[in-house]
Amino acid sequence: MKMTHDQRPDTDPLDALFATARQAPMAPSDDFMARALDTALGAQPLPRTLAPAPVPKRGLWLRMLGALGGGFGLAGLGSAAMAGLLIGYVQPDPLLILTDSLSGTTITESYDLSPGFDAILTEDTRP
Amino acid sequence: MPRDTPDLVSDEALLVLYANGDPVAARELTLRLAPRVLAYAGRVLGDRAEAEDVAQEALMRLWRIAPEWRQGEAQVTTWLYRVATNLATDRLRARKRRRADPLDETHDPADDQPGALAGLIDADRVAALHLALDALPDRQRQAVVLRHIEGMTNPEIAAIMEIGAEAVESLTARGKRALTAALAGRQATLGYEDDT
Repeated sequence: MKMTHDQRPDTDPLDALFATARQAPMAPSDDFMARALDTALGAQPLPRTLAPAPVPKRGLWLRMLGALGGGFGLAGLGSAAMAGLLIGYVQPDPLLILTDSLSGTTITESYDLSPGFDAILTEDTRP
Repeated sequence: MPRDTPDLVSDEALLVLYANGDPVAARELTLRLAPRVLAYAGRVLGDRAEAEDVAQEALMRLWRIAPEWRQGEAQVTTWLYRVATNLATDRLRARKRRRADPLDETHDPADDQPGALAGLIDADRVAALHLALDALPDRQRQAVVLRHIEGMTNPEIAAIMEIGAEAVESLTARGKRALTAALAGRQATLGYEDDT
């Protein structure tokens, strides 16, 4: 078989014809492509959006904690309370000097408003 | 999706992006698949209007199934060609019914081919091939087009036509023999001639 055009001698002439057909597909028109794109966009699902996380309901204690400034505020308040209790119990000399200077008097007497347990033991309670 | 390298993204990944609402994926998939399915439908049907209808319908079915697409089960192109093949088969059957009806004056699309096998330019050679393809039984024509023009492998064609690989081999072999017979005597027009 002798080949014309640019075919190799061992090429199946039908294959050459297929190759020619492959190079000449039915070209899509602009109108066809526009309709295809419109169809694709029209049928496309809407983008998925993430739902916002639910806001947890805050109880009374949480709201009070928030009013105090959160965990750090509560820790500061607790520390101040403990420091005040300690200072009041120890009554260090510098503090007495400060209170004396502010009040202008010197506290020389103390009143035992809450008698100790020893006093109760020594008191004769028998009728 | 990455805007600068859409070519590197597979059809399947684009389809997932499409289902997630990415308009760039919709455009890229359309540009990639619409011309291919139109060309295939055109070769099988031989009529532009019908081929465009088949291509649009096949694409529409792809968009509809995109949200339920099960990754890894089938290639997007294989699925699309299968749908187009079924749609084209339905139209070919309807065409045959119309031909059988003498009262139906519907034109025969194959007659629209430019043709007459005269001239040596490629368009005429392709037209001659299409005329010969139109004379083949539908399944043979589909198998020959998929194998020899679309360049698909036998397993891919088997998946598209939903038949076995041996049946594909048989269809393409018989189709080629029938084409050779149909084109016999027109070798000079088609670009070759017998030496014997």
